[in-house]
Amino acid sequence: MSWSEVHALVGENGAGKTTLCNILAGIYRADAGRVIVDGAERDFRSPAHAIDAGIGMVHQHFRLVEPMTVAENIHLGWPETPGVVSQRALNERAERFMGEMGLHVDPTARIWQLSVGEQQRVEILRVLARGARVLILDEPTAVLTAQEAEELFAVVRELAAGGLSVIFITHKLREVLAVSDRLTVLRHGVREITRPTEGATAGEIARLMTGEERVLHVEHRTVTGDPALEVRGVSALNDRGITALHDLDLTVRSGEIVGIAGVSGNGQTELAEVISALRGLESGSITVDGAEVASLSVRAVTDLGVGHIPEDRIGMGMVASAPVKDNAVLHSYWTPQFSRGLALNRQSVIDFAKRLVAEARVQTRSVFATAGQLSGGNQQRLVARREALVADRLLVAAHPTRGLDVNAAQEVRSTILDKRDSGCAVLLISDDLDEVLLMSDRIAVIYEGRIMGVFDAADADRERIGLLMGGHSITGAVA
Amino acid sequence: MFRGRGSMTPLGSIAGAVLAATPWRLERRLEVDAKRAALTRIGGAVGAMVVVGILLLLTGRNAFWIFWQALDAIFGRQRGIEGVALRAIPILMTALGVALSLRMKVWNIGSDGQFLMGALAAVGVGIHMGGPGWLVLIVMAVAATLAGAAWMLVPALARAYWDVNEIITTLLLNFVALQLVTWSALGFWRDKEAAVIQSTREVAHTLPGLPGAESVTIALLFPLVIAAALWWVFRSTTIGYEIDTIGGNARAAGFAGVAVRRRILVVMLFTGAIAGLGGMLQLSAPGAQAMNAGFSAQFGLSGFIVAALAGASFWGVIGGGVFIASMFYAGIVLQTKGLSVYIIFAIYGAILTGIALGEIAARYRMVRRRADAGAEAPGPPGASEPSEAWGPSAPAAAAEVLEAGS
Repeated sequence: MSWSEVHALVGENGAGKTTLCNILAGIYRADAGRVIVDGAERDFRSPAHAIDAGIGMVHQHFRLVEPMTVAENIHLGWPETPGVVSQRALNERAERFMGEMGLHVDPTARIWQLSVGEQQRVEILRVLARGARVLILDEPTAVLTAQEAEELFAVVRELAAGGLSVIFITHKLREVLAVSDRLTVLRHGVREITRPTEGATAGEIARLMTGEERVLHVEHRTVTGDPALEVRGVSALNDRGITALHDLDLTVRSGEIVGIAGVSGNGQTELAEVISALRGLESGSITVDGAEVASLSVRAVTDLGVGHIPEDRIGMGMVASAPVKDNAVLHSYWTPQFSRGLALNRQSVIDFAKRLVAEARVQTRSVFATAGQLSGGNQQRLVARREALVADRLLVAAHPTRGLDVNAAQEVRSTILDKRDSGCAVLLISDDLDEVLLMSDRIAVIYEGRIMGVFDAADADRERIGLLMGGHSITGAVA
Repeated sequence: MFRGRGSMTPLGSIAGAVLAATPWRLERRLEVDAKRAALTRIGGAVGAMVVVGILLLLTGRNAFWIFWQALDAIFGRQRGIEGVALRAIPILMTALGVALSLRMKVWNIGSDGQFLMGALAAVGVGIHMGGPGWLVLIVMAVAATLAGAAWMLVPALARAYWDVNEIITTLLLNFVALQLVTWSALGFWRDKEAAVIQSTREVAHTLPGLPGAESVTIALLFPLVIAAALWWVFRSTTIGYEIDTIGGNARAAGFAGVAVRRRILVVMLFTGAIAGLGGMLQLSAPGAQAMNAGFSAQFGLSGFIVAALAGASFWGVIGGGVFIASMFYAGIVLQTKGLSVYIIFAIYGAILTGIALGEIAARYRMVRRRADAGAEAPGPPGASEPSEAWGPSAPAAAAEVLEAGS
């Protein structure tokens, strides 16, 4: 990287973008390799070393003190902050510094009063105040509205014009083209290419990001008949109260796998949750076999035969502190198989858990061991199998193979394919495009809570899907 | 680099530092089985008594005589055993309520208040209601149960629906309850004939005595029956399963379709109800039929300690509650034998600390360091170890609070 450059670092989730930058910022230590700043090799043992070398990072999650003012946050932990100082002097110093940098936020405002975009600006000011000459922005637009993002691009360009270097991490192609001078594509931790942005096309970047198709083959089908799941005009909020799903339509028929392709954080989590009645709707309707999900409890939706492999398996899909046997029936303990009235039949729970563990080949000492002791792959196999058994009509599988090694991933995939072949509808959500292409009979591309297009497996074109995932509509216009 | 130490208790760190000089190191157990956990607690108590004994000997007191007096006072005569039982009843009732809430990772620090309000309701019924004694006592029990639950209503609603921290709300309501009791004793239900102590009028009825007992009533059966019922609920019902699931991971409970907020509300009301009933049981013992400001000798606090040290196991609560009641009873007897109250409090503290240490010790084992790992810093595996999300953290935290306080 040279000075005065905006360098975009692009790649899919897990490609290693953030890891690389954490090494640069002194948060992780590299196992091998060197970091050279201004011709000198540096070894960052802590973030302080990186700051000394002029490298500062703005994280996805802000590290601001909410009840304190902007000026206080900028001065917090800044070695140049005077020891004894008045509130007014702090404000004046902050004001002066903002003037130098051409970045303005009201210094007397408290952090919690600011919009996310303004908070981000304070974070950038904090990093700059410590003398950063290389500014790393980790997915800075993930939390911003479209307009805030535009403002950020202007700020970034201005800072670069002033002699700073900026590393801009993103997986949105439009942003790469809009803001960067040069770009580097990472894939599975390996650099695919570094080149000037000028002349690069979104299609080329998308192909480099997602890689080439694997040679594994799954027979795709075209299914007609009644839809098992119908999503009509659904809008929903995320946990922060921002609209995550916009007027979304989707149909999944019995006996088919519909894959949702998209970069994480574009509404996939929320989509899975509204279908399972875990999240309320703002508008629209979701029906499973004709029954309106919004009017049903979580349990009633489960009783319709809806299984859900949640994205956050440890946080939501299981109780790490409870025995494997209790986790085996988490989504079915109230059914007649396990309980009559209030009485829970311990023996049937234990028998079922043993069978589940054997079928899913979960490695555990016993069904009485806590689920938290299982390795991640075993936890995943347990949850996937459990939900497959719950799902008679519809299986919602969110990132079902994330973090699994090749063999474990194949087992989970064959479980899902078996469900499809037995006539169950499957909604497969994954940010691994290879997986979506491999498994799905139809593919829907999601971007910012909207379905950008639906393709039959036969017509699915990797490049076009990659473009849509990055927010480019087919005609090239930004959606 | 990611050798997380956040999961280690301060005591674990200290023990680790001490062991650094030896060829041994501490390793965290993946699972703590109940028997070992009970044994290490008993070991902790015995160890503390040995230390106390040595200190007593060093300061010129006859430790053997003191321990003998304590044991003889408790087990040597029927009065001793009954004295322990009388003290155990209120402690057990409050402890059972707290233990129930701990299963859901809810901290009811307000059992003192619920206990007092239960007793107050029982007094109100007892001094105003006519009719046969058995009926009055039943109405008293019902009123006390409802009053205890009602005293929990605001903290329970606030916790269940607005995520307001129940530790603060329940704790503060204790003081309000105490003021109400004082007011009743000084004001509206005051016994105008009592000369010395400000007290309410006396309830005319007492619960029937246990066969063969001089002063212990059938009140003793209540904590035993409740413990058995709770044990069964958590072993064999879907409600117990749901409560444990909420305690383990509330989000997973929601995922499974449990009405999490409503469950939290109902269970919290139950914990208040148990403590409230405890207040009535205390009031209906012969000789305790009136209330004054000193009515609850901080039974709630003792109950909380018992529940926390028992790790929310209901049979553990029974064992621990009887032990602590014995300890308190022995303390009173020893005071009459001339041992200073300060020394007795110090002994209490030492024994409780010993039990808390035993609770922590159950979670570790000593492992001989491998030759090649000799340079490595001692300590349990990193924080990423999945099993550390498991339950014992609640009593562990309580144990640390205890240590800080003693």
